[in-house]
Amino acid sequence: MLQKKSKITTLDVFVLLALLGALVYVVYQVKVKLNYNWQWGIIPQYLFRYDAESGKWVSNYLIHGLLTTLRLSFWGTLLATILGTVMGLLRVSKSLFHKMLARSYVELMRNLPPLVIIFIFYFFISDQIMPIIGLDDFLRSSSAGTQRLFETLFSPPQFASAFISALFTLAIFEGAYITEIVRAGIESVEKGQWEASHALGLSKYHSMRHIILPQAMQRLLPALAGQFISLIKDSAIVSVISIQELSYQGTQLMASTYLTIEIWITITALYLVMTLTFSLGVGKLEAYMAKSQA
Amino acid sequence: MQEKKLGDYIVTVEKINKTFPNGVCALREFSTRIRRREVVVIIGPSGSGKSTFLRCLNGLEEIDSGSIVIDGIPLDENKKNRWEIRKEVGMVFQSFNLFPHKTVLANITLAPRLVRKKSNDEAAEMAMDLLRKVNIPEKAESYPSQLSGGQQQRVAIARALAMHPKVMMFDEATSALDPEMIGEVLDVMKNLAEEGMTMIVVTHEMGFAREVSDRVVFMEDGYIVEEGTAEHFFTNPQKERTKLFLSQIL
Repeated sequence: MLQKKSKITTLDVFVLLALLGALVYVVYQVKVKLNYNWQWGIIPQYLFRYDAESGKWVSNYLIHGLLTTLRLSFWGTLLATILGTVMGLLRVSKSLFHKMLARSYVELMRNLPPLVIIFIFYFFISDQIMPIIGLDDFLRSSSAGTQRLFETLFSPPQFASAFISALFTLAIFEGAYITEIVRAGIESVEKGQWEASHALGLSKYHSMRHIILPQAMQRLLPALAGQFISLIKDSAIVSVISIQELSYQGTQLMASTYLTIEIWITITALYLVMTLTFSLGVGKLEAYMAKSQA
Repeated sequence: MQEKKLGDYIVTVEKINKTFPNGVCALREFSTRIRRREVVVIIGPSGSGKSTFLRCLNGLEEIDSGSIVIDGIPLDENKKNRWEIRKEVGMVFQSFNLFPHKTVLANITLAPRLVRKKSNDEAAEMAMDLLRKVNIPEKAESYPSQLSGGQQQRVAIARALAMHPKVMMFDEATSALDPEMIGEVLDVMKNLAEEGMTMIVVTHEMGFAREVSDRVVFMEDGYIVEEGTAEHFFTNPQKERTKLFLSQIL
């Protein structure tokens, strides 16, 4: 168990070192051959800037983008897990209708480019559904406290419908993968467990809820955590519908400063900080689960 | 064992047939009747349909034709009847099938709480009584993986008993155990028989069959070759096939 944990850590470190090495090489090449005018000094102010009015340091574009990415990933994973669990249960149901419904969903989502899905959902949810729900109107007329809460949890009120559509798109997209993870988890539970609960007179619902699903979830927790990392990465794609997450802020800053390389290196580092942190966490989780199972 | 009085018929099986999708015919026109408090031991070579018979009795396998009636309830299409039978018939598996994510106590109390709607305290109290009965009260808070095979099987028996079944079925309950643990499980089964539990036992333990059973049934190819009291069966078998089988295992 311990061995497994350290293996993942070494791999992470190795990848990181290799990346750093490559980076150094590229920087060297750029410096020597391109005569590129490095302006690293400008970058930090896009992370944090000094606000003269309040006299405090406040976060700036890149940190805003990072937080938006994290919010998207967090809520997206939550929604995708719920959706994936429901669909995964339908997937293993005996009813042909349930099976076909879940199967169509999974196949549709996995066989379309996410970009296409995003546009479809964005124009459908954002233009058609959101006005019907009236989220924008509700936020506009609500108190400052509610607005602030919404901004902390989700996004600035003026971008609410875009953010919610992006969230749903990501959740529906990732949910398809989670559906398959959940299905595999349920199917990995031994037949004897079903038979024992059947023999004890438990209903199908009770068997699923108390016997099968808890064991399945325990087994697929690492896979789910991995999917969370995937979602962090995939969230970059919603920049195409102007969600102000990390990649979007990157393109915007690049357009206004022309510091292409500095900005994208910074963005890369910020993504790596997020994904590698979670990847280490997953490694710990796996080691812990392996230990508790023994 | 002193002479015990058998009751009326609690299990009536008439001409059941079961063929698996792969074409294997497990039960052919199989009929038998079992009385209350009777201990029936079913023996036979592997693939003779012993386990399939048990699994049909509580609906784990569907029968193709014939009828099964347990304690007056027919095992038919009616879901309520099927559920009633599952509650009244306890089953102990060869591979224990304890719930690995739950403690011993939770394993035993789960079904009484969910199915019999017992309160937590009531279920826990009964579970502790049962654990004392199978001689492992100290393992109540352990997880199945921390127990030996014999202990796990005794917990599985306690779990089945917690539903107060009218019939207990044992599907090769000792076959997966190390030899030194078989005794402790058989002792629990013996005590259960002495208390008057109706039991259907598929086993290879001939000592148990001889000592505890009221009737021994020898099966092959999905039907009964020979049946009779243990004494008759082991001392004076009639059929050639039975003699051959007994000579191979004794």
